[in-house]
Amino acid sequence: MQMKYLAGSVAIFVGLLVLGWTTQGTGIVKDDPERNIVIPDELTSELQVKATYDGEKIWFRYRWPVDRPSLFNDVLVYRDGEWEKRGGEALGPNPDFLTEDRVAMMIDDGSVPLFGRYGGYITIGDGLTTFTGTPETDEERTKYLPSTRENPNDFDTVKPESDLETLRAAGQFIDLWQWRSSRSNPIGLGDDGFVAEERGGDAGTGPYTTNWDKATSQPKYMFNPDVAGSTALQIDAVIAGDVGFNDTYYLSAETAVPFDPNYAWKNGDTIPRRYLRQTDGSRGDVVQPKKARWRNGFWDVTLVRDMDTGNTLDDKIFKDGGNYDLAFAVFRNASTMRWHYVTLPVSLGLEQPAQMVAERIEPGTEPGWTQPWTEIKTFYPGQVTWGRLTDARQHPGADRIAARVPVAVRHSEEQLALYGVQMEFADEIRRQWIWTLIASLGLIVGLGININLLMRRREEVK
Amino acid sequence: MSARIKTQNLQMNADEDDQMKHSRFIQQGRRIGLAAAALTLVATGAALAHSEGGGVALAVEGEPAWSLSPVYHILVAHFPVGLWVTAYLFILIRTFSDSTIAVQLQKAIWPVAALGTLAGFVTYGLGLTIYPWSAITESPLGRNHILLATWTLSYWTVMSVLGYRFRRHLFDGAQRWITFTLATVGALVITITGTLGGSLTGTPSLVTKSLSWIGWNVYNTFYLPTWMLVVYFAGAVLLVAIGIKGYRAKPSLK
Repeated sequence: MQMKYLAGSVAIFVGLLVLGWTTQGTGIVKDDPERNIVIPDELTSELQVKATYDGEKIWFRYRWPVDRPSLFNDVLVYRDGEWEKRGGEALGPNPDFLTEDRVAMMIDDGSVPLFGRYGGYITIGDGLTTFTGTPETDEERTKYLPSTRENPNDFDTVKPESDLETLRAAGQFIDLWQWRSSRSNPIGLGDDGFVAEERGGDAGTGPYTTNWDKATSQPKYMFNPDVAGSTALQIDAVIAGDVGFNDTYYLSAETAVPFDPNYAWKNGDTIPRRYLRQTDGSRGDVVQPKKARWRNGFWDVTLVRDMDTGNTLDDKIFKDGGNYDLAFAVFRNASTMRWHYVTLPVSLGLEQPAQMVAERIEPGTEPGWTQPWTEIKTFYPGQVTWGRLTDARQHPGADRIAARVPVAVRHSEEQLALYGVQMEFADEIRRQWIWTLIASLGLIVGLGININLLMRRREEVK
Repeated sequence: MSARIKTQNLQMNADEDDQMKHSRFIQQGRRIGLAAAALTLVATGAALAHSEGGGVALAVEGEPAWSLSPVYHILVAHFPVGLWVTAYLFILIRTFSDSTIAVQLQKAIWPVAALGTLAGFVTYGLGLTIYPWSAITESPLGRNHILLATWTLSYWTVMSVLGYRFRRHLFDGAQRWITFTLATVGALVITITGTLGGSLTGTPSLVTKSLSWIGWNVYNTFYLPTWMLVVYFAGAVLLVAIGIKGYRAKPSLK
């Protein structure tokens, strides 16, 4: 009889262990729009990069997977006499695909402390826009460098202008190249910016402006019917992805005319909310040799810039034989803001040993792109701040950061993605884990009591 | 020799056997106690000797804190792991063999397991000194290591008590299969705890990867959904109830 009890008890115990194993990790991690939490379906992805230079110019070519390209960002849709804004910023992926695809590259020449070891993590302060708990304000709270703040973890403690100028002159800024599928690609441009006391655009004119007249609450431009075939697109066709590269889908000097308020607008008429224009100044340094196209499930984008732009306070200057640190971000599946995929820092050598080696070509020739791709894993970073990472009370590896141990030594991209997600539910997971600890300990104690009561010595058997 | 004298002689022999057994147990107990004390002394000595300069000073707001380098935890962790795995090996041999050597090994099971448990407590304590509690419980891998270490320690405490109380009877009749099953679960939790410790220090093993093949990526915190917590508490109560009910029933190994 005891054997039946014993066997039954062990079966219950092992069964509960198996049941616990199969159900563990469920019930907490899920989208919570109230707290700005949306978890991407894929936590990691891939980016391929290669680079070439000729002594005057440097080219970077990027290739990354996108199931459906997003050719539009924000648009204006006519509805019952009003023009409504749709798309652009969204929590997580935009279901209407009205958020553009993007690639961004941060560049440093070794001037920014720790960037080469921790990449973009150093730029993530507490309370940035879209972070859980950050109130919505008109002012965007962008990424910044810790050295630009009196308290590196406090966005509002910006150092005096004179200090910022000193830092900038010392090279304490990150060069930021961007390519946008909607706001720069249609006219073959990139966008040149920086990360210092904020993430911003270089001096000059960027590749887009807002197609909206606040005074009249109407668009400034509409499609030129002689070029586009009509004054507007249809929102249903835009959302369905029926508007493609062969259509006129963007506004620029070649495709737009001033808005006609007297036109017989119909519900569903759609006009891009951005007007594309030629760049000038330092902001216009990064361009495309030709417009990028999405083919066979991949964006294939090339950006080019003068190695020495002369804008030393905006741009990192590339020198033959030099070594640089890069970090990338890819925006895919119609996502923007912090719903991007980032990379760990990648070293770049101009004909120098590095993770990615830029090949030198003859001056005046075009890149042949014969070298192999550098395969780089991208991952969803969650809301992990630099303040948290460097606080020994919150991060067991804070002492490793203090010892300047590179992140890649201790963490893989997959690990960081999983940690990023769990950090968004830190309190809930920790509480549930403690209860799991207590419950499982109770189960083991229960088993111990059970077995001690049921086991028999042979002489006890009558 | 009369029957009465025979009975007296048998009684005297039995008393001597009991005294000898008692003496052996005391000697064994002394040896285990000395070994455990020595182990604790060595670990504590190493810890104290290196707590200044050898550890990592952490600036924690409000009160000073200190930590020990993980090397001491890693060093001492080999003792419980080695001892528990040895105990499991002996259980394995005894389960499948009634040979003289298997029976001899069986006598070492509970002392080895108990020594492992004592070393386990030292290891567990040293492990908790490495990082501030608030930090290590923010790390999914840290949480998992603590969870599995707690399971391992509590589980082998249970096994040690069982071994001490039932000794050779662990292998009486069909009870040997219960012993074997329980010990196998114990060996599994030791393995997982060890591999999590390796992952925590930046050296993940094939075991780490293989766990993800069977449903658990160790970089995700192991936690149960609330309904499962209730089931676990109910399961604990049920196991105790079954034990009490079985204890009151007529004993039988058949």
